[in-house]
Amino acid sequence: MHDERELGIIRRQLNRLGVQIVPWGDGPPTTEADVVLLDADLFPIEQVPALPIDPTTPIIALVGIETPSRLKWLLDLKPASFLIKPIRSAGLYSALVMAFGIAQQRTEAIERIKHLEFRVKSRRLVIAAILYLMEHRKLTEAAAFALIRRTAMQRRTTIEELSAEIVASGGQVPLAIHPS
Amino acid sequence: MSKSSIPIGLLFSQSGPYQMMGGEMLKSARMAIDEVNADNQFDFELVPHLRDPAGVVSAYHTACEHLIREVGVDHIVGCYTSASRKQVLPIIERTDRLLWHPARYEGFECSDNIIYVGAAPNHAVVPLIRYMLDHLARDVFCVGSNYVWTWETNRVTRELVSAVGGSILAERLIDLGELNVEHIVQEIVSRRPPVVLNTLVGESSYIFMRALHAATLKARFTTTVLSCSLCEPELKIIGGNAAAGCITSSAYFESIDLLENRAFVSRWKDRHGIDSSPSVDGQSTYVSIMLLARAIKRAGSTSVNDVRSAAANHCYQSPQGPIWVDPDNNHCFLTPRLARSTKNEQFDIFWEAEAPQKPDPYLSGLDAAPLVRPHSTSTSPPPQQQRLRLLN
Repeated sequence: MHDERELGIIRRQLNRLGVQIVPWGDGPPTTEADVVLLDADLFPIEQVPALPIDPTTPIIALVGIETPSRLKWLLDLKPASFLIKPIRSAGLYSALVMAFGIAQQRTEAIERIKHLEFRVKSRRLVIAAILYLMEHRKLTEAAAFALIRRTAMQRRTTIEELSAEIVASGGQVPLAIHPS
Repeated sequence: MSKSSIPIGLLFSQSGPYQMMGGEMLKSARMAIDEVNADNQFDFELVPHLRDPAGVVSAYHTACEHLIREVGVDHIVGCYTSASRKQVLPIIERTDRLLWHPARYEGFECSDNIIYVGAAPNHAVVPLIRYMLDHLARDVFCVGSNYVWTWETNRVTRELVSAVGGSILAERLIDLGELNVEHIVQEIVSRRPPVVLNTLVGESSYIFMRALHAATLKARFTTTVLSCSLCEPELKIIGGNAAAGCITSSAYFESIDLLENRAFVSRWKDRHGIDSSPSVDGQSTYVSIMLLARAIKRAGSTSVNDVRSAAANHCYQSPQGPIWVDPDNNHCFLTPRLARSTKNEQFDIFWEAEAPQKPDPYLSGLDAAPLVRPHSTSTSPPPQQQRLRLLN
């Protein structure tokens, strides 16, 4: 940020909130930051800057110029929250709470998507395992699936991992002892 | 009967990267103030208080605060760049004063405490690119100073050219005040674009225009340069031959053939010399002061509320033709024009809107569909799919 007046407001308010400030003037801060405040007006818009921070670290953008070209750039930056300049003492706290909340929700959503993608990818293996058991143990589809699920539970593994094992070992996997 | 005195603030940089504009605007402001003060239809006289932030962005706030808190002005005329306007906007709003902003800008702002007297984007860039698409080419090479005016002008250009299947051949941006333009000139010579959109400001632009002229002469090819900001004093700085042939979009040219303008130019030359020319931003500064004085007279006070209401919809026959403030958005109805610069450092106007156009700072009325001419509809998506999207 260039503006000493606005910097002063931000410093005072962050100090009141017990937030430690690491200025990012000449280069990236050496310490790991939990949140990044970034003056969007200072960056050229040809490309989103490569920020040397963890992609899950929330960014709060300070926005002065509201032209579509700048807002498009801002969207690509994926800020977790923003503040309209001029900065006032009010608003910073809400922006911080929003930013941490949004960052948390994003992290959870990313984890959930990863999990679902794994399950989607593994569906072929689960189907293959069910077909294997139907053929070799003369089970119905429902019974084959129930057997896999029960075994997975007993072995504290997932249906997907067990299915992969069944398929890979050609059925040489000890399955649940008690039929349902 | 002696006139009462009304202090007004003038905020113009007299040095720094756009000092030439600041100087032209100050000259015009002083001329307008002298005319108001000598005119018996006004029972007050304007007392100017100049502050010179010297082109330093952060100095604008201090200068503005001083004008408001120490001098006690209700009205300030000034700023040139958007960066400087954004600096003073908070204090202007907080103290409920009125800033009269003469310069054209890229739009996407609308404060109750600013009267935007210069051209809005629908007045400036849109007619220019429409003309290009209709008469010159669908592909354009963009060169500009790396800041918000260029970014936004290029964005609108991209919207319009893509709607008809054209393209931006290149977008070359250099820092404000950068004087090394040779690599861009070389690229233009080797790629030979039909049109070059120039959004460089100040010295960068003058050097570029001269270098491009020399290089195209040598390479024996021609390209058309487009501009939304070139003005007569700049043509003189660049030099007639290098500056000639540039298609420029503006609300004001010295060559406007109106009674009010001929009289204005004549008074200007009496004051500043027969060889000098008023500029678009200078004329707009003159108009700002005239609009302000007329609004104070109608309101019978300098109160921001009263003056703003008095200015709304009140038509003033200015050098650039009829102009009035649109109370919907505090920008001005004005007449867009297109002209070609000539070797004798003037502009030859070849198009103007039939009537003053409503300002559209958010380009909410911009629709690329009419750009698609009938013969091209077979290969283009239907018009409703070509409505401009805000964020493309």
